[in-house]
Amino acid sequence: MDDLQFRRTIYADPQCTDEDIIQAVAADPSKQKFVNDIQQFDEKLLAALKVPVSDDMAQKLILRQALNNHQQNKKKTKIHLALAASVAITAGLIVKFMMFTPSHDSVAEYAFAHTAHEAHYFTNNDTANITLASLNEKMTSFSGNFTDKLGDLIFADYCRFDGIKSLHLVYKGITSPVNVFIIPKNDKFTYTQSFSNNRLNGRTEQYKDADIILVGDKSEPLQKWQENIKATVTWAI
Amino acid sequence: MIKKILGNKNATSQVSSLMATKQTRYEALVKALHADLFRYAYWLCREKQIAEDLVQETFLRAWRALDSLKDEKAAKSWLITILRRENARRFERKRFDMSEYEEATITDTKAMSSEQDIENHWLREKISLLPEEYREPLVLQAIGGFSGEEIAGLLSLNKNTVMTRLFRARNQLKDALEKEPEERGTYNG
Repeated sequence: MDDLQFRRTIYADPQCTDEDIIQAVAADPSKQKFVNDIQQFDEKLLAALKVPVSDDMAQKLILRQALNNHQQNKKKTKIHLALAASVAITAGLIVKFMMFTPSHDSVAEYAFAHTAHEAHYFTNNDTANITLASLNEKMTSFSGNFTDKLGDLIFADYCRFDGIKSLHLVYKGITSPVNVFIIPKNDKFTYTQSFSNNRLNGRTEQYKDADIILVGDKSEPLQKWQENIKATVTWAI
Repeated sequence: MIKKILGNKNATSQVSSLMATKQTRYEALVKALHADLFRYAYWLCREKQIAEDLVQETFLRAWRALDSLKDEKAAKSWLITILRRENARRFERKRFDMSEYEEATITDTKAMSSEQDIENHWLREKISLLPEEYREPLVLQAIGGFSGEEIAGLLSLNKNTVMTRLFRARNQLKDALEKEPEERGTYNG
């Protein structure tokens, strides 16, 4: 190894432990001195390179990380909360729409569906013992009143007529029960005066405070019923 | 349902114990390597405040990516790689407000009491005047304790280039040291 190469190698790496460097140093005391010189210089260099580090730097770094982490966690909790809230709101809205939104456009369609759905609860042979008084009690929430009995009343209770609280009356009919729905005024339905399907007929009559829908089978004279209702029902002012 | 909640609780405690070990690892890493990293950063940018910011940003990134560090022995070079990238970003961000004077302003606020301090100060001045391509390998070798191969890997250079730069760095510093003994006296006098 020539001298120049040797010097270059030591300058590049004073701690060099390559075999040929060690041999060269061992063979030549002046090389040993050169290595010592450079190593001494390198110590000074290292001392200069080691600029002072503030004592609390490690603490600061750990603190900074902890704060950062804390903030991220807080953000995460917020996101979770927001997610939970929006899920709850969505669920609420879905329930609301399913429960309270009219799913039928025409009153006819719904009235038939409602009647058909509850048909098996009522037969013409059921005891009809609901008095006029208890009927009128229920009618008060529609600010209506019947002056006389329409017929034998099997059932009278509030029900949801496609999402709208209304009064459902079931009277004894000629062959099967007659359904009367008293529905408060609303703008959800389009009314047709009379309607029918292959089994049932229906008629609607609109009053000042409520609409009354009648559903009965083909043998039932619904128009007669309607006239009777018109004659007996009165509406509070 | 109860099982589910209990299961969740287990999972949370597992997560928090994982977090605890992560925290321990992180703190050990900070304690062991922050000084070297700061000094490396300092010699990259030659400003104490910027160097501290760089180290801080580096450790924050390191925390986020700590799971990807499998071998603790590789931690130092891993952190240095993050810091270099962070430093490069600094230049992307500050491309327009780069100052016009390039000369390093070494501000050593500490009073120079001893001969050693005076020499350090003088040498620091000289080191900061080295071209960056010479200074960086020198810092990595002296402070980082990296071999020529490792430095070559970190800087994406070949080993011969690194060794040449290391030679030139020391050569220039030694020249300066030998040329200016008188000036050194007057410098501080």
